[in-house]
Amino acid sequence: MKFFLKSFIFVLPLSGAFAEGQKSAGLPQMDISTFPSQLFWLIITFTALYLFMWKFVIPRLGTTIEERKDKISNDINDAENLNSEASKILENYEEKMNSASLESNEIVSNSKATMNEYLDKLKKDNEIKINAMITKSEKKIHQQKQQSEQEIKKATIDTIKSIVSKYVETIPTDDEISKKLN
Amino acid sequence: MAADNPIDPIHQFEISKIAEMQIAGIDISFTNSSLFMVFAIAATMILFILGLSKRSIIPNRMQMLSELSYNFVANMLRDQVGDQGRAYFPFIFSLFMFIFFCNFIGLIPYTFTVTSHLIVTFAFAGLIFLAVTIIGFMKNGLGYLRIFYPSGIPIFLAPLIVPIEIISYLSKPISLSVRLCANMLAGHSILKIFAGFIVMLGFLGFAPLIFLVVLYALETLIAALQAYIFTILTCIYLNDALHPDH
Repeated sequence: MKFFLKSFIFVLPLSGAFAEGQKSAGLPQMDISTFPSQLFWLIITFTALYLFMWKFVIPRLGTTIEERKDKISNDINDAENLNSEASKILENYEEKMNSASLESNEIVSNSKATMNEYLDKLKKDNEIKINAMITKSEKKIHQQKQQSEQEIKKATIDTIKSIVSKYVETIPTDDEISKKLN
Repeated sequence: MAADNPIDPIHQFEISKIAEMQIAGIDISFTNSSLFMVFAIAATMILFILGLSKRSIIPNRMQMLSELSYNFVANMLRDQVGDQGRAYFPFIFSLFMFIFFCNFIGLIPYTFTVTSHLIVTFAFAGLIFLAVTIIGFMKNGLGYLRIFYPSGIPIFLAPLIVPIEIISYLSKPISLSVRLCANMLAGHSILKIFAGFIVMLGFLGFAPLIFLVVLYALETLIAALQAYIFTILTCIYLNDALHPDH
């Protein structure tokens, strides 16, 4: 590249420089004889570039950038939709969790109540039974008490009778003894 | 010519013919200047043809470069002019790419810098000046003359302000063209002079070499910066034409 350009610069002057006065005029920028050529080629090249940019580059680049913008905003929209969906699902889940815990609380309290009822009933039944058994056994005790009292009385009478028979001829009747005992 | 004075800093700006051409007696020969104009548009075209060859959502490097330059110029135009500037985007974009590549190709040793010639930059500046003036009068009618009398200025200052505004308006194409051309001319001359010092000093030439490297980096910056300045000033002038009320 460098050699190529070098050869251009150093060989080309031989092919004919512009006006001879170029050297004496000082700056090449001030050499008016080069102006038409510069302007002419500037117009040609810049027009070519302008048309290229206008017709080829800008529409394509513009659409590419627009497409990317659209794609990004679409993706952001999608992400937002999915996000809201996910939060909805989370909400649902929490709601369900809440209702489930409420339900379970209810079930627990219900079963507690039935259990208490059952226990109360059982208690009452047992109390009745126990009371019945108490009265029954009290009766039995009373009966046995009376029976044993009578037996004790009878035994006492018998004992007294046998004792008295050893010292007295007339044996008192039972009625007499019991009268005296009382 | 080169043998006369091998380190003549002006030699790089000389225009030499490659092919002689004439139309109606006017010399329009294809010169080294024309060749580097062709190189500049060829470089631009290659950049965009490669960049657009595989248009994808996720760009490759060349596509990235072309989109970067597109967005750079598009944002510049939108910031300065707004949506009304959309119609002038092809011109502004071509202008930027042309000057940018002319400046950059000129930095390569043994090349020619198209934008170092005042006639080229003045052709652009004059075209822009004419176009802006015509657009201004087309969009605003005679109301465009308001740019010579900014609102909020007391009437007794008008005799002072209006001539100043008119002179500054008329000097726009001159300042625009001279700024670019002089920057290129001065920068490239200094580079050539210091390169000549390296040759002349022989062994001690490393000192100017270091300076040359730094200067070359600076010139690279200036090449990009001047393309930017030329383009953004064009946008500002265009904005003045479309919205003459300051």
